[in-house]
Amino acid sequence: MSELWDGRLPRPVIMPLGDGALLVRFGDRLDDSANRAALLLFARLQEDPIHGVLEVVPSLVSVLLRYDFEAISPTRLGGEIALRIGQGALADRPKLQVVHIRFDGPDLSDVATELGLSIPEFILEHNARPLRVLTTGFAPGFIYCGFHPTRLIVPRRTSVRANVPAGSVLFAAGQTAIAATEIPTGWHVIGSTPFRNFLPENDPPTLVHAGDEIRFEEVR
Amino acid sequence: MGVLTHGISASGAMDRSAHAIAGRLAGAAGEAGIELTRAGMDFTVERGGMRLGWAGGAFTVRVNGTVLDWPGGTVVKAGDVVSVTPGPSGNYGYVRFGPELDVPQVMGSQSTSTRARLGGLSGRALTTGDVLEFSYPEGTPEAVVPAGRADGPVRFIWGIHAELFAPRVRQAFVAARFRVTPMMDRMGVRLADEDKVFAGSSILSLVSDPILPGDIQILGDGTPIVLMRDHQPTGGYPRIATVISADFDRFAQLRSGDPVAFVPVSVDHAHQVLRSGHP
Repeated sequence: MSELWDGRLPRPVIMPLGDGALLVRFGDRLDDSANRAALLLFARLQEDPIHGVLEVVPSLVSVLLRYDFEAISPTRLGGEIALRIGQGALADRPKLQVVHIRFDGPDLSDVATELGLSIPEFILEHNARPLRVLTTGFAPGFIYCGFHPTRLIVPRRTSVRANVPAGSVLFAAGQTAIAATEIPTGWHVIGSTPFRNFLPENDPPTLVHAGDEIRFEEVR
Repeated sequence: MGVLTHGISASGAMDRSAHAIAGRLAGAAGEAGIELTRAGMDFTVERGGMRLGWAGGAFTVRVNGTVLDWPGGTVVKAGDVVSVTPGPSGNYGYVRFGPELDVPQVMGSQSTSTRARLGGLSGRALTTGDVLEFSYPEGTPEAVVPAGRADGPVRFIWGIHAELFAPRVRQAFVAARFRVTPMMDRMGVRLADEDKVFAGSSILSLVSDPILPGDIQILGDGTPIVLMRDHQPTGGYPRIATVISADFDRFAQLRSGDPVAFVPVSVDHAHQVLRSGHP
């Protein structure tokens, strides 16, 4: 993260989410700087936890902090968050996870056609560079990674598939997503992977976290 | 620590205070119990015996055909038949046990998440023929006089997208009366917007943020939905308000057809209500 991030975060909005949480939001649109800022704050909160915080949840452009109101007031918590936003950049390098993908999804040829590419060209472009894990969530172990260059952006499907199997690799809106469980989706299904980012008997139950990098490798 | 980041909402009792009261009446040694819906439940004590406690909603409980007080508790022994049937109000009832219910700890919780299919008995609701096992000894029961619940509007804190709603829509939201619809489950409760507060609201496309129980989302068609314990972890619909913790349990017990009005409070006020212990 360090080589791409200069340590100055966009000015966030800190607002209450109910009476037990604060939401720190770095932008109204999903873009690279807002996502990096959210991930960086998340990393700092893990490195330097705040007493009274029960749970920290990173999201695409925001970070949620659930707190114990008897241990810390929201005002004081806001101050502690601001302190951590003001610190210098992290030196850590992102963790790299290789994910094997079989390009066998029902929407693969539609996506390639829409982008004006042959299937082999699309696969080459898709796997050309590692992607950052923008956030996790939505479903157990679900991973959003991005961003693809603008020439690889397609909108979501107009209809939702009731269920796609665990291990489905999904593609839309400049991102590739990996489902760890069976889910409904409006994204294009481009392939499948044996990689499962959710093993409830493990602690933690997920392997890949926001801020990590993923490199897709084709298997046949 | 929480599990939202793994994509799982916290789950747990829909009416936490009733779950706690049932536990104190049972002298529960553990945290787990059974949440009943209006489907009710019958069970037989196969062997051994134990103290039971029950609370939540207004259900009718019979032990070997004799009606007992609700909320309340008793000691049961092998062969006893316990039957719980729905009463005039509420959606969720709780039966807790003196000994500890043997269900696995999954990610630090004994809750069942039917949505993530985790915990309890294979992550599903109980069904006819299931056998529950317990670990003794039992805890110590307490006499509990449940505090009366506040009536009146459900209190809320303005939501993370409140500013995106026009001032007249926010005013109308507070002045209006909504109605609970039959479209309700552990994930969310849809409200009928009879005063058409959100009719014609333009559909907003937002970046997803994490969700918490009590968040009131306005769907694309203007339907308000109050997100409940098994809410989806993130959401991109605008959220106008979040129900305060002290009123969430009461809201969860509202039945389809019940009217509901909302009133804003400050975060400080919500904390004072929680500290006072008299919701």
